[in-house]
Amino acid sequence: MNEILNNLYEMTAFKAIGEQPGCIVMILLALGLLYLGIKKGYEPLLMIPIAFGVLIANFPGGGMGVTAVDGEGMVLMPDGTKECIWDMSLPKIAHDLGLMNFIYYMLIKTGFIPPIIFMGVGALTDFGPMLRNLKLAIFGAGAQFGIFAVLLVASQFFTMKEAASLAIIGGADGPTAIFTTIKLAPHLLGPIAIAAYSYMALVPVIVPLVVRMCCTKKELMINMKEQDKLYPSSTQIKNMKVLKILFPIFTTIIVAIFVPSAVSLVGMLMFGNLIKEIGANTSRIFDAASNSIMNAATIFLGLSVGATMTVDAFLNFTTIGIVVGGFCAFGFSIFGGIMLVKLFNLFSKKKINPLIGATGLSAVPMASRVANDIALKYDVKNHVLNYCMSSNVAGVIGSAVAAGVLISFLQG
Amino acid sequence: MNDNLNEALQLMIVGMLTVFCILLIVILFGTLLIKLVNKYAPEEVQAKKPVAAANNAVQKVDATVKAVIDATVAQITGGKGHVSKITKL
Repeated sequence: MNEILNNLYEMTAFKAIGEQPGCIVMILLALGLLYLGIKKGYEPLLMIPIAFGVLIANFPGGGMGVTAVDGEGMVLMPDGTKECIWDMSLPKIAHDLGLMNFIYYMLIKTGFIPPIIFMGVGALTDFGPMLRNLKLAIFGAGAQFGIFAVLLVASQFFTMKEAASLAIIGGADGPTAIFTTIKLAPHLLGPIAIAAYSYMALVPVIVPLVVRMCCTKKELMINMKEQDKLYPSSTQIKNMKVLKILFPIFTTIIVAIFVPSAVSLVGMLMFGNLIKEIGANTSRIFDAASNSIMNAATIFLGLSVGATMTVDAFLNFTTIGIVVGGFCAFGFSIFGGIMLVKLFNLFSKKKINPLIGATGLSAVPMASRVANDIALKYDVKNHVLNYCMSSNVAGVIGSAVAAGVLISFLQG
Repeated sequence: MNDNLNEALQLMIVGMLTVFCILLIVILFGTLLIKLVNKYAPEEVQAKKPVAAANNAVQKVDATVKAVIDATVAQITGGKGHVSKITKL
């Protein structure tokens, strides 16, 4: 009887959990993230798959955790030997290391999924507000300041590749952060993805916090429509439909020429947008890009990124550094955007509401909605949403370009 | 450490300048594109079709097809919706 009970004890996960109590912390963390995703609605489409990935990856014996690779690409096999992951075929990875490693090395590590998600994002993005207020797009550049400011500080505590992966959280763009981390520091993928999506979910808290610290009431009351009436734009768009079709094509060409390493992100973003804007002739592939393909990609991305967060990969001081550094990157990005607007206002007759600078950090469209709510608090007639969307969408391009610069300089 | 700091500083300058330049080029090129489109492909003014035409369109639709559409709309909207216009795409 004792032997049967002993065998049962060894067969179940109880024994292994007792031997590795760290996994209990990870399971609790997964449950906490599930709570945030389900109950609090923090980016549920990604937070819930990530949280569930963390949960299933941390039960010993389940084989659902992504196996960490060392700097030379060597991976510890279940039999205790070491093999180079790049010499292993995908069926061998699936057979020896399990399903989650197969998904991770096939879809994530190859950098396949983030551009696919960018295609879906492009299909859901409207460049109309940006084209109507094209000049405001430049404030999308100011909000990339956080990336490089944190890179400067983080370079003292991390390797350059790790520091760049951490700093890109300041771009407030999940797929960009994941894509950069895959290329530069894949061992940090889990904590960086979690930090990026958590802070994106906290945009309604972080943006007002930084805005309150940096802006006066007078600045926040600048009414953009009144400014437009005082200083009207010289260019009026007569045919938005044709413009919306040409814009993604030519933007791709510009980015491809100047920052080729950003093409996989910006190119797919613009492709998604193009098939949306063409209309009925491409409605079937638009539907696939914005629904079925994007949804499937989101599921695989979330689950496998979550599965990289095993005890060894997460419970260490690096993770704390990422959480703190990511927050600073986010805050400095908003600060950078606001300061650029203030600088512009010093020299221009036409005044710009600093909220338009704050929304330069991607996080489309939540940042714009939050900024609009802040503006309405100070003046119920001051709707800045359309103006904020310009810098907001430009921020997506800006953070992808910043990622391209980091990758092309540091990958090697 | 100092090497890292130097490299990070260089990246900061190069990165911020690149982002600024790309967005600036996008803005300049976008403005050029707007002017070109305004010049060579200004939107055709679409004459508004009179309401009577729309009503005629409903009448031209086959009675069976109209009955099916009416029934579908009634079922989906719980009897609250009604078909005011049917146009062929």
